[in-house]
Amino acid sequence: MDEKRVKVEVKELTKAFGDLLVLDNISFDVYDGEFLCIVGPTGCGKTTFLNSLTKVYDINKGSIQVDGEDIHPKKHNLAYIFQEYSTMEWLNIQENVEFGLKAKKFPPDKLKERSDYVIRMVGLDKYRNYYPSQLSASMLQRVVIARAFAIEPDLLLMDEPYGQLDLTLKYKLEDELLKMWKEIRTTVLFITHNIEEAVYLSDRIIVLTNKPTHIKTEIINDLPRPRKVSDPEFVALRNQVTDLIKWW
Amino acid sequence: MKTKEKSLAVGIGAAAILSVFLIWYFAASYTKVSLFFPTPQKVFSRFAESLSVPIGKYTLQMHVLYSLKRVFVGFGLSSVTGIILGVAMGYSKTVNAIVRPIFNIIRPIPGLAWIPLAILWFGIGETTKYFIIFMGGFANIVLNSYDGTNKVDQTLVGAAELLGANKFQIFVNIILPSATPYIFAGLQVSLSTSWMAVLAAEMISSYEGAGWIINMGMNTGDTVLILVGMISIAIIGFALANIMRVLERRLCSWTVRGK
Repeated sequence: MDEKRVKVEVKELTKAFGDLLVLDNISFDVYDGEFLCIVGPTGCGKTTFLNSLTKVYDINKGSIQVDGEDIHPKKHNLAYIFQEYSTMEWLNIQENVEFGLKAKKFPPDKLKERSDYVIRMVGLDKYRNYYPSQLSASMLQRVVIARAFAIEPDLLLMDEPYGQLDLTLKYKLEDELLKMWKEIRTTVLFITHNIEEAVYLSDRIIVLTNKPTHIKTEIINDLPRPRKVSDPEFVALRNQVTDLIKWW
Repeated sequence: MKTKEKSLAVGIGAAAILSVFLIWYFAASYTKVSLFFPTPQKVFSRFAESLSVPIGKYTLQMHVLYSLKRVFVGFGLSSVTGIILGVAMGYSKTVNAIVRPIFNIIRPIPGLAWIPLAILWFGIGETTKYFIIFMGGFANIVLNSYDGTNKVDQTLVGAAELLGANKFQIFVNIILPSATPYIFAGLQVSLSTSWMAVLAAEMISSYEGAGWIINMGMNTGDTVLILVGMISIAIIGFALANIMRVLERRLCSWTVRGK
């Protein structure tokens, strides 16, 4: 990790709502192309943390920089994948995927080529003319992932995107996400409360405490890919993280 | 299965209409109801006759066209202004803060309650009719346009902002399409209230129109003529509602796809 370039630098991030201190002096770096998972208990302020990163909330103290500049959704190429399927019902799949590209004034002559590429990567080539109401939950989440990757974001923020899916779909989509990430090599900040998911996906895991939230510990995850949840090393790391956070 | 269900619904609907006509026929033919309610045969033969023989100055279809013209002008004006105002209220808190209190005072006043004022302001000409129709449909369109704009999914807006969309792109690509089904619901309700308002307007002062036919029937004690006017209103109202539904399906096709 030492040779890696710092992509995102979070320094002393503090956020309070009135008297309620939610984020307490959080500092960490995210490296270029890294897949970083942040785990923490429900209600610890994970979403507040992402909303502070994207400037939905003003922070009370600290700074968040991308490539050495204060983060700004207009200045930096960010994408956010929510737990809810944020597809636009009135646009077909191709148009949904092209939405971000058009907003960013992507060259029109390369638009279709780009959207075709990401749609193919998530396995929805046969459904490009379908509308969201005609697709299943997992397909919708794939559309959102394709839309995010299409713009090749500097930073992809994911807030428990698979929280509403059943296990089989979750595993499938996790593999697809890793495939996209390897191909496009974007920096991913993935929030989850699922320890197994964090161990399966990440290069590194940051463990948050309960409110007021600060970083409890940080674990490098250098298990070789593709990972198997039944591998003894995988199980050992999962148990290590579980032991660390057993008592939130 | 869907086609079967659809056919069954059509069949049940047709049977219900047929039953009403049969009850009407037997009641008007064999009971004392016939004293104040004509038989369907009388009504429909008069209806057919009115297509070529004028009632007053015009044939039935010309009367209907007069009413339709009034509805289109009044409803068109209330649609355009209502949508603009409702969307502006939903989009801008400032506009909502300014307009909402005034609108809340005007909203409960039924369109027909404006008739006396409209006559005093505009006389008994066409403007009064347009105004009554306008007021009849305006509030529903404003409210629905406001609701649709105000209830836009903030997750979508947030996602679009992060994908780099500016305010105009968000308005055109997210807010307006989200609001369209609500706007159409308002237009549907408003169209029927406009149709009601035109009849009231024509019954007050007019020499033509479906409302005038009904009024004429009432003044001359001609129940057949009243029913001819009512049936023409029902047919046009039904046709307009269906045209609106087709338009809605086209413009808001995502609301019916896959369902």
